[in-house]
Amino acid sequence: MAKLARKIAALLLVLSSFGLMATGTKISFVHYTLPNGLNVILHQDNSKPVVAVTILYHVGSKNESADRTGFAHFFEHLMFEGSENIPRGQYDKITQNAGGVNNANTSQDRTFYYELLPSNQLELGLWLESERLMHLKVDSVGVETQRKVVKEERSSRYDNQPYGSIIEETFKRAFRVHPYHWIPIGSVQYIDEAKLSEFMDFYRTYYVPDNATLSIAGDIDIETTKQLVSKYFAGIPKGKIPIVRPQVKEPPQQAEIRDVVYDNIQLPAVIQAYQMPAMGTPDYYALDMLTRLLSSGESSRLVKAVVDQQQKALFAGAFPFALEDAGLFIVFSIANMGISPEDVEAAINTEVEKVISGDVTDKDLQKLKNQVENEFVNQNASMAGIAENLANYHVYFGDANLINTEIERYNKVTREDLLRVAGKYLRKENRLVLYYLPKSEKK
Amino acid sequence: MKRSLIPVLLSLWFILPVHAQLDRSKPPQPGPPPRIDIGEYQRSILDNGLTLIVVSNHKLPRITCNMLIDYDPVMEGEHTGFTSITGSLLGTGTLTRTKDQINEEIDFMGAGVNFTDRGFFASCLKKHSEKCFEIIADALINAKFNQEELEKIRKQTLSGLAMEKTSPDAISDRLNRQLIYGTAHPYGENVSEQSVESVTLEQCQHFYQAYFRPNIAYLAIVGDITMEEALPLVKKYFGSWQKQEVPRHVYSTPEPPEKNTISLVDRPVSVQSVIKVSYPVMIKPGDKNYITGKLMNVILGGGTFRLFNNLRETHGYTYGAYSQLNHDKLIGSFIASTEVRNSVTDSAIVQILYEMERLRTEKVPAEELDMVKNYVSGTFALSLEKPETIAGFALNIERFGLPADYYRNYLSAIKAVTPEDIMEAAKTFLKPQQANVVVVGKAEEIVKPLAALTPGKKIRYYDNEGKEYDPAVQLKPAPEGVTAESVNEKYLEAIGGRKKLAKMKDITSSMTTTVQGMTLTFKNYRKAPDKLLVEISMGGMVMSKQVFDGARGLVTSPMGNEEAEGEVLETLKAEAIFFPELDYAKHKITATLLGIEEISGTQAYKIEYRYPGDKRTSVYFDLASGLKIREVSDEGTTNYSDYRDVKGLLFPYQMDAEIQGQALKLQVTDIEINKKLKDELFKI
Repeated sequence: MAKLARKIAALLLVLSSFGLMATGTKISFVHYTLPNGLNVILHQDNSKPVVAVTILYHVGSKNESADRTGFAHFFEHLMFEGSENIPRGQYDKITQNAGGVNNANTSQDRTFYYELLPSNQLELGLWLESERLMHLKVDSVGVETQRKVVKEERSSRYDNQPYGSIIEETFKRAFRVHPYHWIPIGSVQYIDEAKLSEFMDFYRTYYVPDNATLSIAGDIDIETTKQLVSKYFAGIPKGKIPIVRPQVKEPPQQAEIRDVVYDNIQLPAVIQAYQMPAMGTPDYYALDMLTRLLSSGESSRLVKAVVDQQQKALFAGAFPFALEDAGLFIVFSIANMGISPEDVEAAINTEVEKVISGDVTDKDLQKLKNQVENEFVNQNASMAGIAENLANYHVYFGDANLINTEIERYNKVTREDLLRVAGKYLRKENRLVLYYLPKSEKK
Repeated sequence: MKRSLIPVLLSLWFILPVHAQLDRSKPPQPGPPPRIDIGEYQRSILDNGLTLIVVSNHKLPRITCNMLIDYDPVMEGEHTGFTSITGSLLGTGTLTRTKDQINEEIDFMGAGVNFTDRGFFASCLKKHSEKCFEIIADALINAKFNQEELEKIRKQTLSGLAMEKTSPDAISDRLNRQLIYGTAHPYGENVSEQSVESVTLEQCQHFYQAYFRPNIAYLAIVGDITMEEALPLVKKYFGSWQKQEVPRHVYSTPEPPEKNTISLVDRPVSVQSVIKVSYPVMIKPGDKNYITGKLMNVILGGGTFRLFNNLRETHGYTYGAYSQLNHDKLIGSFIASTEVRNSVTDSAIVQILYEMERLRTEKVPAEELDMVKNYVSGTFALSLEKPETIAGFALNIERFGLPADYYRNYLSAIKAVTPEDIMEAAKTFLKPQQANVVVVGKAEEIVKPLAALTPGKKIRYYDNEGKEYDPAVQLKPAPEGVTAESVNEKYLEAIGGRKKLAKMKDITSSMTTTVQGMTLTFKNYRKAPDKLLVEISMGGMVMSKQVFDGARGLVTSPMGNEEAEGEVLETLKAEAIFFPELDYAKHKITATLLGIEEISGTQAYKIEYRYPGDKRTSVYFDLASGLKIREVSDEGTTNYSDYRDVKGLLFPYQMDAEIQGQALKLQVTDIEINKKLKDELFKI
């Protein structure tokens, strides 16, 4: 029955987690750069006749200006419109005709495209991706159609869903100067105002080989694939417009921020968002493990105490929402019927304070490490997942081999590290507390 | 300028040899098709009847286990929820392990275990597999349920229900199930507050004992394990699970509506309409038209195909539009769904029905069919990357009695499908004239154009729990100064006044009714403050008795005596209160004046009473006379009329009840008051 809560939580988790790939079975790969700056990563696994052709552009909503929020994501839709050689509406059909599927997604930091194909269609995947990198073709009909589609996407996923605006409302308040202030879907106003000419400028700036990582995993031969990659991508010129990445740093938070959002809901929700360092930083790993201590599994602190024993929350979970420039340690909970948000918040704080005051055993730590181990083994299960993770590790950390070694960073975390980061980050002055209340309670 | 051109030309010459061969204008040709290897599964049956399926895949050091206990779906009726609650009770304790121990052990391995009302799903690293089996088997076979955990699950379930009432998707799913299958089919049942409240531990225990049996269960294990490794483990931990005959159930097959019917849930805050077009469908793997049916559905909306292209890419109505043709052992379903902005709700429905109709009447172009065949064959091959797919195939082969090579022949079966076959399948499975059109959205903005879609047929309105209501029944606000209390006082005054009522200590009344040609006599005895006896007799013989002595209740019927519990007890208790109108607060009943409604031409105040335990009734009082004229509760509706004087007090002599769709006319034959009824009369 708590299905909806789990759905929201799963969404948060998907949005907040990437990586921690590693050994178990070692992922071998080759990584090289074409003269035009395109990064290429290839992983060969011939056990199933499947190939994932993926391309990651290092551009996301944080590269947008404040009066064009939603732009990077809107543009992602336009990448399916066609190219010099692919008429409008044919991109999907060509993929499907080859027995494959494609899709894309946009985050704050990057935009990711993929084709999953039977392995004899590798070359088709390369042609498709190189076409739209080389000479995308978009007309006003395409822009106007996708403008409507994107607004419907916003409605379906955010505006028409209870609790749907949580991420947006949280980031809006937690980041005041950094472009993480808005989320990739953007605002309706700016989706309406975006112009075709602006899209083409954006395309020329960010959709260039030296801002892209082509990552391919599956039933391939490395040497043949290298030749094919060269055939389709080597002739695409480097970017000419310098890419300016946001340099702004969110100043440290000095005092607790509290606010209320009235939504079309019946059960109140409590969101606590603590400022957290960017992904991959030393403290990140201990904080990630802290979120697991709090809410991974029925025996975890929040689930056991707040959800099960005290029956205060229908759901309570902690998520490390780590991004390239900064992160948020989010604790999200939905109150049980008849329980006030204050009550839920107090119960959560009690559990967090226990951790800060030293209530973490060596057995707890071992449990967390076992959970991490289980998770990374599972994340190596599909070719699509491997290709995406290789690209992420390269782009964010400059080291694709973290797919094999990041686990060591988790294994290095000590009980003292857990206590230290709990004390350092899970402070009142470092957090935003947001109550979601039923609209009927609005005075 | 000339000089500067030289390096450019040079570099061109350098890269030209590669690109001269590259013709970008056409998609490159595929390489030779790869061999599609379906993958093997092993099967073994334990002595207790448990079917074990193993799919080995040694790529990663992990296993996943999935158990399906394949009992016939169970009608849950007024206790809907007890099966899923039973699933949630699993893992909360065994004969030898506490809940905390179970959770701690599972989490320590980093394993994931989820119990359901049909078994469990589990995943763990290979090195933990034995421990994992040990715990899961214990939790499943030796489950010990307790009341405290039931109460926790009940509370979570009620909160979950409250949350679902605000989610347009959840509201839509719920009503859609109810309309596709009907409430007389287990697939059409939905939990409600009342049904969840009424679930007892005994029900869950009975259900668990009767249905959780190995002889109807399948255990599929996938991953870094062989049958040689798995079988001893499964025997060791699941071998002691006792087999037992499991009750079988047969249900009549739900039919699609005769004509398209629009059903609407008004959600005034919606900015989009959640639309579903749905009806029941008979389709099972292995059926002659199963593969053509599935292929036909893909063309329509099983991916980014006709519905998607029409509603999204051509019209920009939506982010996505899809259809599903769901198979099932009992009865499957067709569901087309989308979410669109309010202003195009009707247009979107028109386009969905149009695309359904088009497949029935126009032959699909060969090129399009080929593309879809390629897509389905390709994604079939892609799906084999997951060993879980092969386990799913194995389960289908076992459950649906398919030939062993069914999935090996799948691709050639797809290849053989013709445009004529697709049209045939569309005629069988698509019913654009006989569908439920379920819309959750903002009625104010969408209802007019919706009404135009089915001329001469009314839109049916449902609340967010799937209860139908008549939107024409509009409550008018009660005038200033009128409260629930004042309406109540006026009623007491009208029937004789508080003074006379206070002197009344007991009532004995008789009434008769005719059911299917037989005359039933009801004899009611009531005594202040809270004693009740109802005897129902036929031809002078008492058939059934309900008695409440102020604390306990007993229900006697030809089936025997049964102590009243749960909802039955609550109903009796509420029923037994002697003139609750005299003092609501004392009985912890809250009364809320909702407004004025017209009841067959009579203006009446509507008051909702909430009893402890959340039982509710709505009572209507005639504006002019002050008398009670109607009462509506979960049991049904009763109209009161023909008030007559009995020793200065007014009583209704005519009661017209509608109880579970049955109309009953009750005629009072006699009322006596203050007969000094003895307490013994109500003894249990």
